[in-house]
Amino acid sequence: MMNIVLSRDTLNLVHQLQRMTGENVMLCYQCKKCTLGCPSAYRMRMKPHELMRAIQLGQEEEIYWSGTIWICLSCETCNTRCPQGINILRVIDGLRERSKEVNYYNPYPVIPAFHRIFLSLVERFGRIYELGLAVLINLRMLSPFKDMDMAYPMFIRGKMKPLPHRSQGVKELQQVMERIRKLEESKLEN
Amino acid sequence: MRYAYYPGCSLSSSGIEFHLSFQYVARALGIELVEVKDWVCCGASSAHATSHLLSIALPVLNLSHAEKEGFDRLIAPCLACLSRFKAANVEMKSNDPLRKKIHELFDYPYQGKVRVYHPLEVFLELGLDQIRARVKKKLKGLRVACYYGCVLTRPPKIAQFDDVENPQSMDSIIQALGGETIDWSYKTECCGVSMTLTFSDIVLKLSNEILREAKEGGASAIIVCCPLCQANLDGRQRQIEETYHARYGLPILYITQIMGLSFGAYPKEVGLEKLITSPKEVLGPLGLM
Ligand code: SF4
Ligand code: SF4
Repeated sequence: MMNIVLSRDTLNLVHQLQRMTGENVMLCYQCKKCTLGCPSAYRMRMKPHELMRAIQLGQEEEIYWSGTIWICLSCETCNTRCPQGINILRVIDGLRERSKEVNYYNPYPVIPAFHRIFLSLVERFGRIYELGLAVLINLRMLSPFKDMDMAYPMFIRGKMKPLPHRSQGVKELQQVMERIRKLEESKLEN
Repeated sequence: MRYAYYPGCSLSSSGIEFHLSFQYVARALGIELVEVKDWVCCGASSAHATSHLLSIALPVLNLSHAEKEGFDRLIAPCLACLSRFKAANVEMKSNDPLRKKIHELFDYPYQGKVRVYHPLEVFLELGLDQIRARVKKKLKGLRVACYYGCVLTRPPKIAQFDDVENPQSMDSIIQALGGETIDWSYKTECCGVSMTLTFSDIVLKLSNEILREAKEGGASAIIVCCPLCQANLDGRQRQIEETYHARYGLPILYITQIMGLSFGAYPKEVGLEKLITSPKEVLGPLGLM
């Protein structure tokens, strides 16, 4: 049985997330509508409504340990149906963004790794290079031949390009991404 | 009508037949498409899971290119791109501190003048009569399931299109072409594609349910409007059949492919040969290919 100690700090997480996302998690009254419509809830240790309660109680470590924020498919069903009008996905995105700053165990590191690889390819070429993305993430998962049976028919139909294509707009993009990185680093230092 | 056209990364590779068939249909309906100059990736689901600022900045970068070129309407056929573009426009309008931050990032301050559309929205704005008027071959005897995917209508505050839980736009187009659509409850269920390269087991389960429901509902094909849904339901169908000991054989066609065929296109003009599950068995007997 987990002990929950309520103190003045309990609401810190709620307030931080509200500052980041504009969403007030305290509005959640545990109706479970989010969980009932969630396509990946079956695979989550902490269901969406439990996540909302855990935030209300400041249970940060449990939240990150459960890995729920990385199992969410970003399908927007919960947002659409929440009777309290909470943008749950926006809250989850806030927790994902915060995960870079806090140091909690993550049972599914491959998902943030995927996002890092994705964005580094975007920064390099300006566009997504599907084959490169698939190869890099397969290597990261130590399963280099995953989905070969799927890639081959796409390849012979010319649906997967063997080489990346570089966008003319990549210079401007790199500049913007660099500026964002600087901005976010300076925020962290303060 | 002239539109800025943002194909996005998928339509240049795995979704190439969506690109081809949309071009064909647009030409037939008098929709002029001008590709956004030097477009870059919108960040899809990786940017918003990493940094909110980045997830708005990438769409704004592309929108500002369109705005500078004098466009006030932009078409994004991929649903992942579409929803990011629409979200960026809403944030730029309603979130003052964020707008200020974004403007500091760019040399050109985006004014928020470019409205974002999915091809379906443009077709419906033109009207079903315009579509009916182009029909050369009726889809007589064709019974399909229209699958809309996750974010075409969600969340309604941002998407502002069609009924959120029971959309009808594709159904109405198929019916205008003389085809039949099934009523089913998986129209907007998520296919899980954002995990396709990582936790494929989730994708197989969710996509299997969609294929199964369509088949049980009596559909002989699924009609889609997003390159990610298509790549998933078509590209993984063999794996799904093996995993769940099922046999579906359902061709997954883009709405623009079926519109093109009905407008008299040759199969190649709408990229039918690019599909992995061949539609020949279904469309052949109806004289559509
Ligand atoms: S749907 Fe909204 S109010 Fe209901 S449990 Fe989920 S977050 Fe809470
Ligand atoms: S957005 Fe995430 S949490 Fe919400 S219903 Fe979809 S998968 Fe579940």
